[in-house]
Amino acid sequence: MLLPYFEWVNNLPVSRAIGESALIYPVVQSIHLVFLALLVGGIFMVDLRLMGTSLTSLPLAKVARDARPWVIWGLVGMLVTGIPQLMQNATREYHSEFFWFKMQLLPVALIYHFTLRHRITMAAEGRVPPILSKLAGVVSIALWTSIAVSSRFIGLFT
Amino acid sequence: MVELLSPLRAVFEWVGALENSIALRESIYAWALVLTTHVIFLCSFAGLITMMDLRLLGIGHMGTPFSQLQRWLFPWQMATLAGSSITGLVLVFSDPMRFYVSIFFWVKMATMALAAVNAMAFHFIAYERIAEWDTSPVPPLGARLAGGLGMLLWANIIVNGRLIPYNWFL
Repeated sequence: MLLPYFEWVNNLPVSRAIGESALIYPVVQSIHLVFLALLVGGIFMVDLRLMGTSLTSLPLAKVARDARPWVIWGLVGMLVTGIPQLMQNATREYHSEFFWFKMQLLPVALIYHFTLRHRITMAAEGRVPPILSKLAGVVSIALWTSIAVSSRFIGLFT
Repeated sequence: MVELLSPLRAVFEWVGALENSIALRESIYAWALVLTTHVIFLCSFAGLITMMDLRLLGIGHMGTPFSQLQRWLFPWQMATLAGSSITGLVLVFSDPMRFYVSIFFWVKMATMALAAVNAMAFHFIAYERIAEWDTSPVPPLGARLAGGLGMLLWANIIVNGRLIPYNWFL
């Protein structure tokens, strides 16, 4: 159903220009990964704190609030560097199961991150049962790791 | 560059001829899984280092004293460093000549050495006087320098790692 749109994007002059340059695609891919580091750095440090409730005096809400701008910068950077990669490879990505898996998980992870996880990290210490906050951390790490794995697989298995 | 590395060539060739190395190289799934795990560990490590560096620069995580933040991050930094080092070694072991001929691989290794020097310098200079700036809104120059350099070096390491498959300079 969406194939004509993917083909249209794929054949845009801009997309072809990216494809013809030997430099743009590899450089954009690399920067995409630098922003991934920023993103998962900000997310995982809070997840690990969620999972280790009894282990630390680190104030959860404060750390989560301070991590937020970096997570958002990470997301913006990944989006900006992700779009040209998709444009250049639109038709190929359309046929990749891993691409669709990623595109389904991504909204789930984002909604989870900014709703449920946000509320759990901002709740007053002691108000969230430890088992729930542990689960919140595990779910977040699992979601973002799955997205990263499926993304790497797009390139490896298509 | 080439002459500098040539003594290593024999070692890389020898490893590449080992039975286990060949088996790994020829297994599509093992290679792909180790590579994917490496990327995730390396980005997690660089990300956790970056969170520390942002605090050193005085632009992130300013709500937490440096020592408290780093006491929490350190074990995870070490765990992800171990994960990326082990998977990285397996990757080199499985296809040594692929890396030997890549300028990006050697730049990545050299940049990692610089990052280690930067971390040591921070530990023995600015961190020695942590009590004086632990909660200060502007960390001392030495700390800001270490933070800025750390971020630049690790971004470079990620970029060079990602570029290894491209042999532009051959």
